Amino acid sequence: MLTRQISLSAPIIIFIYLFQEAVVNQFKLPGGGFSLFMIFALVWAVISAPEIAALTGFAAGFLMDLSQSSSGPVGQWTLIMILVCYGVSFLGYGDGSINGNPLVVIFFVVIASISAEIFFVTSGALLGVATGSFGQIFLTLIGNTLWTVVITPIVLPVFSFLHKLVFETRS
Amino acid sequence: MRYGGGSRTRLLLIVLIVTSLFFITLDLRGVSILNGARQGTQAFLSPFQKAGNVVLSPFKNFVSDVTHLGRTRNQLEKLRADNAKLKANLLNRKNADSQLNQLKGILDLAGKASYKIVNARVISQGSSQSFSQTVTIDAGSNAGIKKNMTVLSQTGIAGVVKDVYPTSALVMLATDPSFKIGVRIAGTQQIGILSGRGSRSGSLQLLDNLTTVKPGDVLLARGSVANRPFVPGVPVGYVTSIDNSAGEIAQNGAVRYYTNFSTLGVLAVVVGGPVNNPGDALIPPKPVPTPIPTVTVYVTPSPSPTK
Repeated sequence: MLTRQISLSAPIIIFIYLFQEAVVNQFKLPGGGFSLFMIFALVWAVISAPEIAALTGFAAGFLMDLSQSSSGPVGQWTLIMILVCYGVSFLGYGDGSINGNPLVVIFFVVIASISAEIFFVTSGALLGVATGSFGQIFLTLIGNTLWTVVITPIVLPVFSFLHKLVFETRS
Repeated sequence: MRYGGGSRTRLLLIVLIVTSLFFITLDLRGVSILNGARQGTQAFLSPFQKAGNVVLSPFKNFVSDVTHLGRTRNQLEKLRADNAKLKANLLNRKNADSQLNQLKGILDLAGKASYKIVNARVISQGSSQSFSQTVTIDAGSNAGIKKNMTVLSQTGIAGVVKDVYPTSALVMLATDPSFKIGVRIAGTQQIGILSGRGSRSGSLQLLDNLTTVKPGDVLLARGSVANRPFVPGVPVGYVTSIDNSAGEIAQNGAVRYYTNFSTLGVLAVVVGGPVNNPGDALIPPKPVPTPIPTVTVYVTPSPSPTK
């Protein structure tokens, strides 16, 4: 069952990754823009079981590490996404008031996104990755958060539908 | 109800975390397998990015225009009035013309200094999620581009080649926080180090504390050994402010880059440096102020009326 779910999830993850790299990254948006791929991974994690969330975080983080725009060492985003995805899933899993309420899902995704960015900056400082001045980091964090707040409600129905398709259809 | 978590989940989590730490260790030790994975990913993504660039060109301009609406409102109003008749034709040609202008500027710059260049289009902007400032161009090692080569825009330095793939290359922009370039001030030849700060403004640190620098001074690249990563003489920017505090060990200042990084469409990679140092020959001309017509009115008092 798990193998089938993973094999169905993989093309979706790769498609969203390609869309991020080939389409979303074409636009120079104010405030640093957003990462559709990260939003997807976080939404997927919030509405999944913790083990699926951890695997999603691993796959998404590894692909983010392989992106040419990633400045840190391979594994940095992988580690952060595993922890963040597992964390949000662990907090919300089994609680119907969280998984069933879109506003709470959006709230979790936004908080997880900010946490991931802050983890990246702090771990990057430990690993010697240059991330810019405090002001620039602050502006990027604010910009990314605002974009995540705007984009998540728009894409949530699509991602929820895909999740339902993968995890609730019988083999 | 919170998820209690089973031993299987905990084991999976530990395995995944250990794997990611393993990746970090391998990458920091410079193991080539992971570099190969990144190169392979970029080689796979490159055609999609090129296709995306072609399809999304009109929309990219739209987004850029909206972004800069506040700053260029007056200019837009003027252009809108001037171009009303040609609007339909320009819609299709706007992108091509913009790239042509950039290309012309680059060729002028490179020709003046006898740089041998390879032109390339920007096919992807780097994501800001990693706090880095990069773009991907559509020329790579097949076109003779190598790592650590200078990248020019039409007005000056744009960045340096960070990674090269067969048909594309990753360019670290001069605004990237980890970007550093040795510069000299045109005329006085004082030297210093310029660092990116994530915006169009860079941070200058002069090596000599006794020299005098003033706002408006032009900075040029000092050049590197064998012209890599930087060829000499490339215009970098101009000084906007200087911090002359007595307690500072070295003079610091802020520099505005000549290159407008939000409108990069065409770039050039310098694959062959000049035989002779071009010196200060590439300094861009200062903008000439438009003369404002003045009208002088002479008023002669009329003789007082007599009764």
